[in-house]
Amino acid sequence: MTTASLRVTPAQAFRQGLTLAWRGLVALKNSPGQILGFVMQPLVMIVIFVYVFGGAAAAGDRAGVVMYAVPGVLVQAALIGTTATGLNLHTDLGNGVFDRIRSLPIARSAPLTGRIVADAVGMAVSVLAALIVGWTVGFRIQTDIPRTIAAIALVVAFAMAVSCMSAYVGLIARNAASIQFMAFGLFLPLTMGSNAYIVPEYVPGWLQGWIAVNPVSHLVSSLRGLLLGGEHAEGLGTDLAWTGLWALVFVAVFAPLAVRAYKRKI
Amino acid sequence: MTNAIEARGLVKRYGATTALAGVDLDVPAGSVLGVLGPNGAGKTTAVRTLATLVRPDEGTARVGGFDVVAEAHRVRTIIGLTGQYASVDENLTGAQNLMLVGRLLGMPKTDARATATRLLGRFGLDDAAFRPVKGYSGGMRRRLDLAVSLVGDPRVLFLDEPTTGLDPHARNDLWHAVGELVADGVTVLLTTQYLEEADRLADRIAVFDKGSVVAAGTAAELKSKVGGERLEVRPADASRIDEAARILAEVTGGKPEDNGGLLGVGVPDLSLPPAVLRRLDDAGILVAELALRRPSLDEVFLSLTGHGATENVEARENGGVRV
Repeated sequence: MTTASLRVTPAQAFRQGLTLAWRGLVALKNSPGQILGFVMQPLVMIVIFVYVFGGAAAAGDRAGVVMYAVPGVLVQAALIGTTATGLNLHTDLGNGVFDRIRSLPIARSAPLTGRIVADAVGMAVSVLAALIVGWTVGFRIQTDIPRTIAAIALVVAFAMAVSCMSAYVGLIARNAASIQFMAFGLFLPLTMGSNAYIVPEYVPGWLQGWIAVNPVSHLVSSLRGLLLGGEHAEGLGTDLAWTGLWALVFVAVFAPLAVRAYKRKI
Repeated sequence: MTNAIEARGLVKRYGATTALAGVDLDVPAGSVLGVLGPNGAGKTTAVRTLATLVRPDEGTARVGGFDVVAEAHRVRTIIGLTGQYASVDENLTGAQNLMLVGRLLGMPKTDARATATRLLGRFGLDDAAFRPVKGYSGGMRRRLDLAVSLVGDPRVLFLDEPTTGLDPHARNDLWHAVGELVADGVTVLLTTQYLEEADRLADRIAVFDKGSVVAAGTAAELKSKVGGERLEVRPADASRIDEAARILAEVTGGKPEDNGGLLGVGVPDLSLPPAVLRRLDDAGILVAELALRRPSLDEVFLSLTGHGATENVEARENGGVRV
């Protein structure tokens, strides 16, 4: 045994976290169904909103609808990806994998760090897949590479903040189905009731009110600003600030709850 | 001999349920302790406590000389754990599962790979090495699980119901593997619901019921505790069974049970069986079947806990009632 010392050094803890992240990513690689899901999910969203609904709404301006909807598809892909954090934690707790990992002389934080790093990579892949699917139907980034990277980083960072909530729910949920119900019940109003696919001017006032405060709206606006520039970049600062604030709220509320629930499981 | 595992007065409560109600255990280094008991007896909680996964509410335990609470990290460096439900990652291949643990233990990649290859060979999993565990049979999974728990060369191994749900062939394979480990000098604590398994693998047996150890000793000691040998007699003429039972009762002072014409009674003294035979002969009762044997562990369990080893399981499966 190489770990003869009493404590785990931060460097070791980090390495152990990365090893467990590797585990999460290999599992992903071994399940082609999940990878297919990464591509299918944005594809389906684009078909629904660009070709099914968009055709009627924009009366022929399909290119305009694509440019409007794809940033929303990116956000939705990342947000749906957050469900995986909760589901994976729940599965690990239930099937004894966590027991095995915890019976090893490794840092207590490693399983959690590993999960978060793996999920962040998974979300980035999912967002990139959505961008590629978007590109094939005519979505073109109008700005530069730094702003594109910033956009991807922003959506992944926001999704990681939301993952704290997913982790908390996954740790306290009695069964996997309740996690999925939660995800559906929460992400549907968040994504559909935002400016991701609908143009706020066309909906009733009460819905406009919700869309204006909805964190997803600010995130989608920020993405439009970063990817499309021009008129979309108006108010980018405000949208970025709101997005950051909402992300902080998610982390501030759910990270301590998740850590507490996790410690209780240990 | 030093004890590899030592527990004193372990108590663990979950709300109103007391999972462990003051458990003492001693397992000498290099020996095998079989922990026997029905579902819900506290076997798994005891293993989880000793393996540092659960913190006891009261009492202390030392594994390899290290305290399981204060020196949990040290304990983790010398133990291996194989859970009741195979704790391998279904989405990884067999080789990846072994690599994962090797890497977490700080092995360089090449060492981790070499260890994985060696263990896969040892447990006959070479052909399945690069297939996801999802597609493994129950027996393969348990063997992989055992292999994974050996990556760190543990001195103390916890096996929590290692053969539950396995077919007899797979069970035999696993027993064989455990036997080899014991030959290497590994201390093993194994929980089981199968009396046969405890009888076959364990040097000593601790019988758990409702969170306490109700009996402990070698299989032979436990059997003699329950009333020594058992005499079984089948009268050739079934109509004379009551008469034969009366004679058995008079001579042994026990209460014979009638199992479809086969009378059974405990005999505390070995001079009694010949006396029984003489009396039966005098009465002219011909004996078609006669046996003197030690009680099975099933009978031991029944007499120690007042209920069978399997009743509880059935009761749970039929609606979750705890007996």
